[in-house]
Amino acid sequence: MPSLPLLPETAPFPSEQILALNRIMSGTSVEQRSWLSGFLAGVQAANAPQPVASAPPARRAPLTILFATESGNAEALADLARKAAGKLGFAARAVDMADVTPAQVAGAQNLLVIASTWGEGDPPQRAIDFHAALMADDAPRFEGLRYAVLALGDRAYVKFCETGRLFDERFAALGATRVAERIECDLDYEAAANTWIDGALTVLRAELGEPDAGAVIHVDFARAPAEAASYSRARPFEAEITEHVRLSGSRSSSDTWHVELSLEGAGIEYEPGDSLGFVPGNDPALVETVLAAAGLAGDRQLHRRLSEQFDITTLTAPAFDQYVRLTDAAGLLRQEGWQVIDLLEAAPHRLSEEQLLSLLRPLAPRYYSIASSRKSVPDEAHLLIAAVRYQSLGRARNGVASVDVAERRKTGDGLRVFLKPNPHFRLPADPERPIVMIGPGTGVAPFRAFMQERDALGARGRNWLVFGHRNYTHDFLYQLEWQDLLKRGVLSRLDVAFSRDQPENRYVQHALWDAQRELFAWVQDGASIYVCGDANAMAKDVHATLQRILAEQGGGDGAAALDALRREGRYLRDVY
Amino acid sequence: MVRRRWMRCGGKEGICAMSIDQRPPSANEGIKANSRFLRGTISEGLTRVETGALAENDQQLTKFHGIYLQDDRDLRAERGRKKMEKAFIFMARLRVPGGVLTPAQWLAAETIARERGNGTLRLTTRQTIQFHGIIKSNLRQAIRGINDALLDTIAACGDVNRNVIARVNPWQSRAHAEVAGLAAAIGAHLLPKSRAWHEIWIDGEKVTGGEEEDEPIYGRTYMPRKFKVAIALPPSNDVDVFAHDLGLIAIEQNGRIVGYNVVAGGGMGMTHGEPDTFPRTGDVLGFCSPEQAVDVAEKVVTVQRDFGDRSDRKHARLKYTIERMGLEPFRLELERRLGFGLAPARAFAFGDNRDRLGWVQGDNGAWHFTLFVENGRVRDAPDRRLLSGLHAVATLGVGRFIITPNQNLVLADIPPERRAAVEALLRSHGLDAPVRGLRRNALACVALPTCGLALAESERYLPDLVTRLEDELERLGLAEDDITIRMTGCPNGCARPYLAEIGLVGRSPGVYNLYLGGAFDGTRMNKLYRRDVDGDAIVASLVPLFREYAEHRSAGERFGDYVIRAGHIRPTTGGNRFHLDLAAELRP
Repeated sequence: MPSLPLLPETAPFPSEQILALNRIMSGTSVEQRSWLSGFLAGVQAANAPQPVASAPPARRAPLTILFATESGNAEALADLARKAAGKLGFAARAVDMADVTPAQVAGAQNLLVIASTWGEGDPPQRAIDFHAALMADDAPRFEGLRYAVLALGDRAYVKFCETGRLFDERFAALGATRVAERIECDLDYEAAANTWIDGALTVLRAELGEPDAGAVIHVDFARAPAEAASYSRARPFEAEITEHVRLSGSRSSSDTWHVELSLEGAGIEYEPGDSLGFVPGNDPALVETVLAAAGLAGDRQLHRRLSEQFDITTLTAPAFDQYVRLTDAAGLLRQEGWQVIDLLEAAPHRLSEEQLLSLLRPLAPRYYSIASSRKSVPDEAHLLIAAVRYQSLGRARNGVASVDVAERRKTGDGLRVFLKPNPHFRLPADPERPIVMIGPGTGVAPFRAFMQERDALGARGRNWLVFGHRNYTHDFLYQLEWQDLLKRGVLSRLDVAFSRDQPENRYVQHALWDAQRELFAWVQDGASIYVCGDANAMAKDVHATLQRILAEQGGGDGAAALDALRREGRYLRDVY
Repeated sequence: MVRRRWMRCGGKEGICAMSIDQRPPSANEGIKANSRFLRGTISEGLTRVETGALAENDQQLTKFHGIYLQDDRDLRAERGRKKMEKAFIFMARLRVPGGVLTPAQWLAAETIARERGNGTLRLTTRQTIQFHGIIKSNLRQAIRGINDALLDTIAACGDVNRNVIARVNPWQSRAHAEVAGLAAAIGAHLLPKSRAWHEIWIDGEKVTGGEEEDEPIYGRTYMPRKFKVAIALPPSNDVDVFAHDLGLIAIEQNGRIVGYNVVAGGGMGMTHGEPDTFPRTGDVLGFCSPEQAVDVAEKVVTVQRDFGDRSDRKHARLKYTIERMGLEPFRLELERRLGFGLAPARAFAFGDNRDRLGWVQGDNGAWHFTLFVENGRVRDAPDRRLLSGLHAVATLGVGRFIITPNQNLVLADIPPERRAAVEALLRSHGLDAPVRGLRRNALACVALPTCGLALAESERYLPDLVTRLEDELERLGLAEDDITIRMTGCPNGCARPYLAEIGLVGRSPGVYNLYLGGAFDGTRMNKLYRRDVDGDAIVASLVPLFREYAEHRSAGERFGDYVIRAGHIRPTTGGNRFHLDLAAELRP
């Protein structure tokens, strides 16, 4: 192992800050450290008192690419934009909103904002602070800043690209100059984002009065941002399913599957915390129903295209409007919860193949946290997939990917996968650091990977898992493995909360609250807290409970204390 | 303590004097001795969330607290592949001397079953309630709920005196009060004195200190094996008084109970393939006064405590102690400890060992309804909503709920003016439908999926088998005849199968031994008639006998007596003859 960079005791910081910095530094990769040095230099430069006129030669105009990422897409785009900008002659740097304040950005001259919207119109959790500071009354002014916003979102949600829109409006309101119209991208963002980035960079160059403003650098989306694996979203690896087991008991009210994939020959070098993506296939019965509703039943070629290439469930607002125009169905009201089939059956109309396809988005990949470590199972990746099924508007609905895997795949079949790194959800680099893993349901997947990794490495840090589900007897995912890890001392502590075993619902946050003294002691010992799983209810409740515990036990402002942990990289979430 | 034991000399008939037992004690003896009076590491085990089980030694100790660790055997096959341990669940058994509950206690029990268990109540042949399917995280709350209802589960299992059962006949209010009172008195006297139950389940365990505990009757190793007491009141033998370590037969004169015949050495359990294990009907030793009864119970316990086999748990019950010692030496030891001799036994006569269903008015004017509960399982079926119906009756707040040794329920002491209300509830929940002769005399143990000992189905299978047999009986005109049929999933005998006219004991899935010739009044055991038969063979074996019985029985002759008179089976005259006198093809 290479020696870790350490600040000397003589560094111009109080000793506790030296300790803190060393702790952070010890958990960084070479890449992270070089980025950090560049970043600090950049911030220094941006905030330097010199006027713009005395900046470095104009050919190296500074460009800040500020990203707000949740799942990593915005970050990957920012990285591509940085490279493209570099080729255009910018001195570009990509900055995570998690790492800066608006004041630190105020000195920048050229700014690209790439922002994802999460859930029901929320900013990504890593960008919450920046977002709040920017929206605050005391936000800095941005006169002289030229900017443009690329917004990522999902048209299935009402507040599509809300975060990007808010950033765009706010920068303008705070005096910045918008140099390109905001683009709002759906799940199939790649091509549109590429074109827009080219255009935006070109305009920025033109604004700077550069001679070769017309040059266009094409972003190469065929290559994964990390350039680690040669397989990518555009070119997935056909992995064989070597194990396909329903972990949920036969009487469970849930349906969760353990899937083992062979990655032999793929060279997919995932790390614990990373996800695998794959493009699922649609339910053939639903494809048939959609085709029948559109008057296109029996078209085998179209059936195949719909099965493999198009999202046949999500009904976006533009698609609805399009259908109303096509079918002259003015007065038709879009109902909450409608999918494509509901629309087609509510106002039946014979469609041409082209018309039908114009209503559908490309089928997007789905991502699942990897539940294994390569150090424990080389050439394999394990996934934990809960089949999503529910009734709505009188119709049984299925999660596209989860039910595809649960029902239509079996051992020996293939799954076309690619790696999606999650650099913001990694084990501490320090093997001695204790960790608390809060992962109910399928949220436990990355923690199985964490434990395999720490077990394989012989890491000595203590590990505490908080697991939850509905019923102890039927839903205790990987129970025998946790027992084994406890017995061998790899797992130091396990707490559980099963919501439906007793009259009062018990969730992981209740288990945390019950263990608050010990939890606080772990935090004081330097523990990192990880949360994975449901974003809507669980992650929010756990967040609030952690704040309460820090307040109760630490005697101060719990919210600030948790925020401090987050900023130290000791409160990490992967929620969905 | 020197462990004494009566040894057999030369492996033959004779019994030599007391000698020192050289064999090592069974593992359970060490567990008990080192348990700090039944505490073990149960409390610590309850905090271990990764497993639904408890440590192995603690599994033995929880029995003394009325709690069994089981697992859902229906799920066993799938668990390993799903990376889960066995589906562990606990059974908790109440201690209810005489089986008498208040309506409020019934409602509490039902709530515990719904909130902490599998939603059903299981009435047992020991006049108590079993809660099934309690997972570990709910166990303490379940027991606290029981404690809140002024009940407990102490000594409902384990090597101690179990729940004392007693004749149910509230319609003879004074006699019933006396036998129920004696059941409660014996139960209380023989209750372990350890505070462990309260500490572990209710108050939380003391860390250190506390007074040194003692078990004046049991000592720190308790009994060699379980110990059971039953009190009968002729002419009913509903408790099967000969099936228990200690039986008391109330002798009534002019409406007063003047004393009890003492019966010792009964027990049902045996092990397949081990002929030196056998069920046994107890022997009548003599007669004692009501005032002496508790003392007699205590001294029978202490003789068994000191002379019972502590090396081999399969030979540890009192019945084997008496077989080994001989009845007279046992009586002498008992009387030596009592300091008085038992009087000669009084005459008694039993008529049956069943429950009579329906309404009866008592001598004080109150009404009592004996409700058929098939195999003791209280749950709602679409046409027979037992759980809901009994809930509704209990909310009336009148009378008492008395669990019978035949797993039925007596709604007792209903004031005359409330009978109509109770009747209406029974009717609206489908609980007043008539039950035919075989079914109303059928008993099954719990067996699969919860009992760890079961070799075959019992509770889940007997109703179907009875339906098939009843169809045949109907054709033969025997539909309303009372014939006792009892099934257990293993040979340990929880449903007292060896005292039925037709006994069925599980051997392996779907396969049973068929026993015939038990007496209708529970005074004679049955005997093996067919080995390893399935449902079809059981029906095929019984139907010709039913046909013969219908044609050739004498007036009032019972089926169990008929098959002996007709020469189909030899009578079993005692436990040590249970495996003898078999048909040639059945002899080992």
